[in-house]
Amino acid sequence: MPDKYKTAVVLERRELTDHISEITLGLADDSPLPASRAGAHVELRFGGNDGRFLRHYSLIGPLGQADDHEAFWRIAVQRENRRRGSDYIHRHFSAGTNVLISPALSPFRLSSDDGPVLLIAGGIGITAILPMLRACVMRRRDVHMLYVGRNREAMAYVEEAEALAGDAVTVHDATALGGRPNLDTLLAQQPTNTTAYVCGPPALIDGTRQAAQRLGWAPERVRHEIFNAAHKAEDHAVTVQTRSGTQIPVSPGHTLLEALEAAGAETFSDCRRGECGLCITSVSSVDTDIDHRDRFLTPDQKRSNRQIALCCSRPRSGSIALDI
Amino acid sequence: MTHASQAIPLNDEAIFDAMPMEEGGQFANHATPLIRNCWYVCARRDEVGRTPISRRLLDTDVVMYRTQSGQPVAMHNRCPHRAFPLVKGRVEGDRLVCGYHGMEFEPDGLCAHLPAVSHVPANACVQTYPIADRGPLTWIWMGDPNLADEALIPELPWLASSEWGTVTGDFHIKADYVSMHENLIDQTHFPFLHPGTVGTPEYARASMEASTEGNQVAITRRLDNAPPPGIYGKPADIMHKNVDRTSEARFASPAVHTAHAKIFDTQPDPGKPSVYGYYITHCFTPESNHSIHYWWFNSRDYRIDDTDTDDFLRDASTQAYYEDVEALEWIMDVVLSDKEAQQFELSFAPDKPGLMARRIMHRLAMAERG
Repeated sequence: MPDKYKTAVVLERRELTDHISEITLGLADDSPLPASRAGAHVELRFGGNDGRFLRHYSLIGPLGQADDHEAFWRIAVQRENRRRGSDYIHRHFSAGTNVLISPALSPFRLSSDDGPVLLIAGGIGITAILPMLRACVMRRRDVHMLYVGRNREAMAYVEEAEALAGDAVTVHDATALGGRPNLDTLLAQQPTNTTAYVCGPPALIDGTRQAAQRLGWAPERVRHEIFNAAHKAEDHAVTVQTRSGTQIPVSPGHTLLEALEAAGAETFSDCRRGECGLCITSVSSVDTDIDHRDRFLTPDQKRSNRQIALCCSRPRSGSIALDI
Repeated sequence: MTHASQAIPLNDEAIFDAMPMEEGGQFANHATPLIRNCWYVCARRDEVGRTPISRRLLDTDVVMYRTQSGQPVAMHNRCPHRAFPLVKGRVEGDRLVCGYHGMEFEPDGLCAHLPAVSHVPANACVQTYPIADRGPLTWIWMGDPNLADEALIPELPWLASSEWGTVTGDFHIKADYVSMHENLIDQTHFPFLHPGTVGTPEYARASMEASTEGNQVAITRRLDNAPPPGIYGKPADIMHKNVDRTSEARFASPAVHTAHAKIFDTQPDPGKPSVYGYYITHCFTPESNHSIHYWWFNSRDYRIDDTDTDDFLRDASTQAYYEDVEALEWIMDVVLSDKEAQQFELSFAPDKPGLMARRIMHRLAMAERG
């Protein structure tokens, strides 16, 4: 079985907005990368002395309708304000930078039926939604798209989306329009049996799901992609104590799993997005409450704070002792 | 050489060099070099006799026979002169005689007689392997002979005990020993691959604990007040009852997996036991990275001389293990023949015991490469 990760190299970097850079990646051995399914993402591993990172980024694919197959992968990275993975990319990535890439993973995908499609992108979430728009246009599916952003200048790929689908794209400039879009109205306007696909901040995803619920949509008619389940702006530095008594500091930009791995602890992990449960570890004691961000543990298990998903969850502050 | 305490300049090379360190440890698979420093079963004890037999073990053809005093001998099945398979020769006294030019080899591999030459050149010798009998099995060490401590041969006392009744069988399997180990320590496949024998729906919800002890991995499960699985319940004639059960499955070494199960009947019928014990012993030896020799034993502590019970357990075990054999061969075929790029394994929480064993196997295999 080939290794999961391959060596890739940054081919080109292009600034899309003040805070968003587009980066194209090719394999280091010059062999072509395969086309990816709309909505797919890649795990990127990168870093150096001042931090190593694993992050998920959507594969955007070709931008125009007529564009040929591309033998490279395109991602777009929005810079956060803190010293995080995205900040690292913005500071260090340029043509020639080496990274490790996983195969394309596509849990977020268009349904195989022919029903109408509603796409909702919020901010950098456009990176998962744009390839879906392109796929719908190419395959002549009934599609409508809402693209929400702080203001038009800060939004990537607005022109590309409009060039692909014209009037089927609604751009919601929150500054100009003075607030969030009305998702109840939007969903109510859709043809029966529409499936909605949402990628963006948690508030947008939750808002869409709640609107769908109010309108009596079956839950499976809203599909969503969450990125960055492991990181929140309010994260604090915490300390992990192992069975042997070793204290391992975990910076706000890193997960407990990453810190334990860097310290050489024996950990198990697979998905790194709080779903597979392989990194679940027993908690011996914890100073504060744990912010559980995984989808594996049940609500009761989360309340008991006896186990933690190392890949994404963390105590709100202070120290946590683990059976590891 | 960069001094460890010296700050390394941050450039792409430094960034990339740092990456593999993040891996928390790798897992053995079918492509991992075979672990050689280990006692593996090479034969049933009664297969090795005065007529030489050969078997391919860890990619090496081995010939085995017994001396006049009954000591087992294992040699490379290849005459150092012209590669004639020594198994095609004959045993004379304690010596193995090559069937091509009559070179005679002592049990220690040294040539004692070379008919066409008046003296025996010192370099005329054949590789031998440490070999030892234990109970019904004969074990071989294909690694560094200086490390072949017989105390490391796994203790399987129930196989030789008169207090246990044992049935046994064997298979040659076109699959790798790593996936065999993972299959044996993974019990979440039971209800799907073995619905008629060892898998019951209730068992899927039994609590499980996994732990590593040195280079072993053990999982223990307990399930109370549920019907027994057919393979245990039918021979004990307790299928109509709800019983408690405990089980331990153990990755004991790269060569052996053992399982120990107990069934507790809290209200036994008159004259019947309240506890039924089983040891299941799986011994397997890689023939190559993609095939194994497999010997299994099902031991019980009741009705130990009953031939009907023997027949039932032999048939049910053979069926259950055949289901595993088929599955592993299908998987091996997919893994080796599917050329679709970028395949990798997904793992979930219940796969942890298997991954623990595979991590140990990877560590052992890498340690032998220095």
